[in-house]
Amino acid sequence: MAIVTKRVSPTRWFAYFTVAAGSIIMLAPFWFMFVFATHTNTEILSVPPPVWFGDAFIGNLNLLLDKLPFFWKNLGWSFYIAIAVTALNLFFCSLAGYAFAMYHFKYKERLFAVIMATVMLPSFVGMIPTALVMSWLGWMNQPKALIIPGACGAFGIFMMRQYISSAIPRELTEAARIDGCSEFGIYWRIVLPLITPALGTLGLVTFIGTWNNFAGPLIVIRDMEMFTVPLALRALQGTGQVPWGAISAGSAIAVLPLLVIFVISSRRLIAGLTSGAIKG
Amino acid sequence: MEAPMSIDRSGAAAPAKSRRRLQPWEWAPYVFISPFFILFLCFGLFPLLFSVWLSFHSWDAATGLGGMTWVGIENYEFVLGDEWFHKSLFNTFWLAIASGLPQHLVAIPLAFFAHTYLAKYRNTVVGIYFLPFITSSVAIALVFNSLFSRDFGIVNVVLTSIGNFEVAGLHPLSWLFPTTNIDWGQPQYTKPMIAFVVFWRYVGWNTVLYLSALQTIPHDLYEAATIDGASRRQQFWYITLPLLKPMMFLAVTMTIIGNLQLFEEPFIITSGTGGLDQAGKTAAMHMYNTAFVDSDFGTASAVAWVLFMLIALLTVVNNKIFSQKD
Amino acid sequence: MRVLIKRRVIAAAVVAGLCGSAADAATTITVAAFPALDAAVKAAIPLYKKLHPDVEIKLVSLAYADHHVAMTTSLATGANLPDVMAVEVGFIGKFAESGGLEDLGKPPYNAAQFKDKFARFTVPQATGPNGSLAAIPADIGPGTLLYRKDLMDKAGVTEADLTKSWESYIESGKKLKAATGAYLVASAADIKDIYIRSGLKDGEGVYFDKAGKSVVDTPRFVKAFELAKAAHTAGVDGKISAWSNEWSEGFKRGQIGTQMMGAWLAGHLQTWLAPNTKGAWRAAQLPAGAFASWGGSFYAIPTKAANKTEAWEFIKFLTLDKKMQIESFRKLDAFPALIEAQNDPFIDQPIDVLGGQKARQLWKVAAEKIPAIDVDKYDSIAQEIVNAELEKVIEQNKDIPKALADAKALIERRARRR
Repeated sequence: MAIVTKRVSPTRWFAYFTVAAGSIIMLAPFWFMFVFATHTNTEILSVPPPVWFGDAFIGNLNLLLDKLPFFWKNLGWSFYIAIAVTALNLFFCSLAGYAFAMYHFKYKERLFAVIMATVMLPSFVGMIPTALVMSWLGWMNQPKALIIPGACGAFGIFMMRQYISSAIPRELTEAARIDGCSEFGIYWRIVLPLITPALGTLGLVTFIGTWNNFAGPLIVIRDMEMFTVPLALRALQGTGQVPWGAISAGSAIAVLPLLVIFVISSRRLIAGLTSGAIKG
Repeated sequence: MEAPMSIDRSGAAAPAKSRRRLQPWEWAPYVFISPFFILFLCFGLFPLLFSVWLSFHSWDAATGLGGMTWVGIENYEFVLGDEWFHKSLFNTFWLAIASGLPQHLVAIPLAFFAHTYLAKYRNTVVGIYFLPFITSSVAIALVFNSLFSRDFGIVNVVLTSIGNFEVAGLHPLSWLFPTTNIDWGQPQYTKPMIAFVVFWRYVGWNTVLYLSALQTIPHDLYEAATIDGASRRQQFWYITLPLLKPMMFLAVTMTIIGNLQLFEEPFIITSGTGGLDQAGKTAAMHMYNTAFVDSDFGTASAVAWVLFMLIALLTVVNNKIFSQKD
Repeated sequence: MRVLIKRRVIAAAVVAGLCGSAADAATTITVAAFPALDAAVKAAIPLYKKLHPDVEIKLVSLAYADHHVAMTTSLATGANLPDVMAVEVGFIGKFAESGGLEDLGKPPYNAAQFKDKFARFTVPQATGPNGSLAAIPADIGPGTLLYRKDLMDKAGVTEADLTKSWESYIESGKKLKAATGAYLVASAADIKDIYIRSGLKDGEGVYFDKAGKSVVDTPRFVKAFELAKAAHTAGVDGKISAWSNEWSEGFKRGQIGTQMMGAWLAGHLQTWLAPNTKGAWRAAQLPAGAFASWGGSFYAIPTKAANKTEAWEFIKFLTLDKKMQIESFRKLDAFPALIEAQNDPFIDQPIDVLGGQKARQLWKVAAEKIPAIDVDKYDSIAQEIVNAELEKVIEQNKDIPKALADAKALIERRARRR
């Protein structure tokens, strides 16, 4: 912000302190995940747990790769599926959100209500019929069974509609239309560049959600070579005898891509700041 | 896709009007929203209808599709009169409020603070608050079990040392903090613990949402307000909050829907059992257990639909609240 | 690793080149299991391939609960079904009743002839209500009482004190607590769980009688609740649930004096639960002449499986082949359901964590005496309800007959579709 402050008030100091203290609470479990990845089971299950790095990371990694010989492949599938789902969602959701935010058309409100209603149905009862659909289509054990049904989420449409209607003035699109821009062209050339912060957020949450999705792969993927990472890691958890160290190592590796994605999309958020300024 | 288009055409080609060509902006929105509906028709509709159908049957899934028996509305009768379902609903609402409200009460000021005062470190701070959202649930379960351990956990160490804090032979804080170790497995502590974990996991997510909305608010509004002599606090109340309303609507709706379907966190924390006296068993967990542990898929579907009605009702109420103030 | 893959690829190519048609004819069977049973399957694959080079075996492993969710979904839809399905004892009642599994007692399997080869309590567990044999037992978990010899010595408690009667067991706990500060038992519910299983005859159920009526208000349950409550009143229970961090930490710090569980717990104690207590433990039979089992796995063939013949061959190899059963006994400490394998000299090996005690002999005796309890598909619900009521009795001083009457009402309400 451009505002220059001369003196920092006590209230603000208090705020700084609270935010910093909160940060520690927020960071702790993440920190422990990495620390646990470097300890043996016996050490992890001690109380208090280890708080600093140990030397068992290589051992844990070897154990992980021994138990899950396809771990790297699983990681690859997770990437492939998450990227595909995210890309499709960004496109389809922003397109639909744009339509709902910027057009007047018959049954608009009702169609939107239908979309919203679909997210309210708790999902577990859908597991068995979804499995039925996939087996009728012959899609069992194929990544497309996870990608295509998830290509356009209702949340994404909701979010995009909300953002577009508040961030883009309708005059802008109307002006573009008068200038002879096609309907898709308005979306592609005018709207899309202005909604990058929301795209960043949606992309992030879609990627994370897909990356961590567990129930979906559980019912459609059978081959351990085709497992996604959460499924593979869960496969290690027996009753009692759980290699926590190896699981933590696997989780830590699996979370790194998310971290990278977050750093990238937080750049997007900054980019959003400047594009917001153009509009103002 | 076909259906809405034909509906539109019949509407546009109303008898009074001459047969003019449809303008692009008349049909384009239908094309733009069609992917969702096509996917829904292919993959969503059948499971939906199937679960409606199922909710009128008695079915143990392991017997295969042939094993269904029609029972009419018996499942609904059972669910509506079921003590366990009532308890799980109560837990769900308790958790929804106890974890949902603080999320927004913290996320809005935090986003405002980060947006206004933190220039250089804004992304780092928001990133840290966002971390719980991306941490794997396995790690969460492990860490929280360890932290909340009764005899050795760090949470109890901190709480009891505050409770036993002594000044001149008095314990000034003992009325507020425990003096002996808390057994977090006891029913009265299960819900607060779950609420904390849910809050912890999603507060960063909401902060990111609000932050991205704050960035659409033009700077000159604040500049003008500063020139007019408005204090920071006044700017927050009269500029920021009203302009955040659309995002608040989105975020609150998401929280309501998400919290009423709360499953993962209580499931992990209570290792799937719901805890002692089912104190942490949410409606979604109840449904899951009815289906996959008790093998009663008909009743589970009925639970799902009752829950759906409730969520829909609340979403409509939320919609009304936000649209009224306009 | 890359070298290994390369080698495999070359080997496969060579084999394919030499006998192209044979390679085409190779069938692949899928085995779905859960840890730690998957380790036994993994160990069996290379051995089996030596005998049947034309069969490829693909293992799919998922966590215990997830595995059974996936299997339920597969049975419901008939899709993604494995050829060989591992089923844990907790689900065998449901799956055996469902009719989605092959009756292995009938031709072409004729497994009824093998019934006497397995620990006697196992086969009835896998038998459906209509007498069909839905699965073949692979391993068992004979119950045992593990106790800290060093702590008991300090408290002047003998093994006989612990096992003579339940009253004497709890009394020993008081001495133990006084002398060492250690809890006798992690959770008072353990006492209840074993008591309700003791004195049962073959064919009786824990929670239900033959007619499907709940029996949770019988004297067996009243006494079990009284004992658990007595233990809690005496302050000898730790209120620690199994597999929690506190449990593991309690073992490590010597705060838990005894633990009643499947014999396999000894292995867990040694490898990771509390390696520092190695040698301090001893095993005994459960108190008051009780015999019970913890866990146990079975293999079944889904009716809609693609390769039933090959699946059956592999199941026979896993469960009836003495060498294979001994292999997983030795390497994975999975107590064999196959009686022949229990006679292997391995049974006489001293066990380190138990201070060199030859405890497997003891467990073999237990395995013979465990009654063939009738399993019911509502057992898990009944167990959950009974545990909740016990908690109320212990924590809130609820009257025992009232608690059990409530439990009975709740169970019968939930088991409405019998």
